[in-house]
Amino acid sequence: MSEASAPGKQPVIIPAVEALAASRYYQMGEATVRAVDEVTFTLARGEFAALLGPSGSGKSTLLNLLAGLDRLTAGNIRVQGAELAKMDSEALARYRRLTVGMIFQSFNLVPTMTLADNVELPLRFAEFPRAERRDRVHELLAGVGLAGRAQHKPSQLSGGEQQRAAIARALANRPGLLLADEPTGNLDSRNGQEVMALLEQLNSQMGVTVLMVTHDPALAARYARRALHMADGRMLAAEVAQ
Amino acid sequence: MTRQDLFELAARNMRNARLRNALTTIGIAVGVASLVAMMSLGIGLQRFANHQLMKSGMFQTVFVTSRQDPRNMDDNADAKPDAKPEESPALDDAARAKIAALPGVEEVAPEVRATAEVEYAEHTNFTMLAGLPWSARDEDSLEKMKGSFFSSATAEEAILQRDFAKKLDANPENLIGKKIVLRYAHRQGGGAEGFQIERRQKSFTIVGLLDEQPYGGMRMISRARVFVPTQTALAMDLMQPADTQQLVRAEPAERTYSMLTVRMVSATQAEAVEDAVKKMHFSAYSYLDATRSMRRFFAVLDMFLGIFGSLALAVASLAIVNTLVMAVLERRREIGIMKAIGASDSDVKRIFFAEAATMGLFGGVMGVILGWLIGRAINLGANLYLHRLKMPPEGLLLVPLWLAAAAVLFAIMVSVVAGIYPAARAARLDPVEALRYE
Repeated sequence: MSEASAPGKQPVIIPAVEALAASRYYQMGEATVRAVDEVTFTLARGEFAALLGPSGSGKSTLLNLLAGLDRLTAGNIRVQGAELAKMDSEALARYRRLTVGMIFQSFNLVPTMTLADNVELPLRFAEFPRAERRDRVHELLAGVGLAGRAQHKPSQLSGGEQQRAAIARALANRPGLLLADEPTGNLDSRNGQEVMALLEQLNSQMGVTVLMVTHDPALAARYARRALHMADGRMLAAEVAQ
Repeated sequence: MTRQDLFELAARNMRNARLRNALTTIGIAVGVASLVAMMSLGIGLQRFANHQLMKSGMFQTVFVTSRQDPRNMDDNADAKPDAKPEESPALDDAARAKIAALPGVEEVAPEVRATAEVEYAEHTNFTMLAGLPWSARDEDSLEKMKGSFFSSATAEEAILQRDFAKKLDANPENLIGKKIVLRYAHRQGGGAEGFQIERRQKSFTIVGLLDEQPYGGMRMISRARVFVPTQTALAMDLMQPADTQQLVRAEPAERTYSMLTVRMVSATQAEAVEDAVKKMHFSAYSYLDATRSMRRFFAVLDMFLGIFGSLALAVASLAIVNTLVMAVLERRREIGIMKAIGASDSDVKRIFFAEAATMGLFGGVMGVILGWLIGRAINLGANLYLHRLKMPPEGLLLVPLWLAAAAVLFAIMVSVVAGIYPAARAARLDPVEALRYE
């Protein structure tokens, strides 16, 4: 539960993410499962961090809490000043829409929609002006190298292309925080590297804070500037990678 | 999410499950069609019945009597404590003028009835003579009259009832244009002390033959064999039954009428005039009273037809619930994705409502067209049958624009109500669970 300072280059004033004894407990009959147990940590703006741990360690649950998909049982999480514990479901939806972007191991593109439609979906929920939507979608797809595939269905694409499209969708409303749940888990190493390179580029060029869940320490060591370790719902230690 | 986005997404979702949504929509269409067909049958029948009754012209007429007149005692008078005969004013010329001044009244004609003897071709027939008001000229029951109506309100012309005319000539049509002599009791002088009665006679030209009784033969009204213009009859000073009544009363009074026939410009004013006359403490009676029960019957009939028509729509609404619940299960993951990228619970709910409403809209429009076609088919069949019976064709089913619009709105409403449960279920989905679901 120690708090690590951000790596050297720039001093951090406002943290992007601040978890304060964040907890998520489940009731399984008589027993209480402490999926996330009083986790406290801070992510600086523009940081690229990896969240490591064995399966069942609670890293995905923590990511869902950060994504506003799951509700805290206790504690609080602050993302860019917004307090998740105080939000109602409407405010959380707004938070997911505008403040965070999320990508998944299984991409989670809507299979019946074209890539363009998939990328447009968060813009629809955000009531992004219709006149500018087409350009925005094109710009997002071009940014991940898929401009020519806009009218393709996900099933017509490789896994790497699908994950890049998912990244484009996650960035649609220009979130400050990108959460990635095992983004390369379903990809071969070449596609995996492409996706990681894209994430790294987003982090370094656009200043998007990235938190990536992975069980692959090598991947974490290679791309993340910091690694957080979880086991049994608790944050073990935060260490600076590289 | 904007409405346009909502319906774009709904349309996309419906295209993705084309067969299922089409079948459900057809289900709604069949439900709406049965409702429209039933309702249009009710409306058509009511219009048909009203039309038949209106033809008689009775609805434009209110009959006014005085409660003083013992012959006009209302059977229900005892049940109505406010109906005191002594408070009812006399039905004299003053009352006639007062009623004539009511808005919408075209003419107030006193009833004139007397026994008379008709002489034609040296044969005499004893019969009933009555005045026919000038305003009756437009009456539809006179439509089938042979010959013509009186040429003026004071003409010395007569219209004969056909059966009576047959007594005068085996071929009654020949009578038109011929002269008859009427012998009648003439009241000479007036005043409280008495009057004289003497026999007089007057020559009339026959102008028309009548099959039906005017006013559909209502009560005793105008049930006579020979009709002359009311004004002519008044000028003849016929001895009236009310005259003896006036004579025997201790207090001298103006000459009164046994009944006034009040004719309205249109049937819509009848109720107001009837009420106004009742407020003057007269007895008033119109066919509106008689049709009240008929109108109630049609209201009940419409309700039953509506309920039976709605049954199919109720079944269709279950199909909507089923279709949407299936869609929620099938699109669980998609709902999870939408929530993960920023859809709120209400966005998800609204998408399902939009899908339900879209099915309702298409089903409603299809149903109205289908219902109209069913109506046409029934009309066609009924008219073929009427044609075989050598009867004029009738529009039995009628789909007015308001019914079409109401049916579509109702279909949308029912669909949205059917969407409440599936939409709430979709909105309640936990995104974490839904995303885990493969």
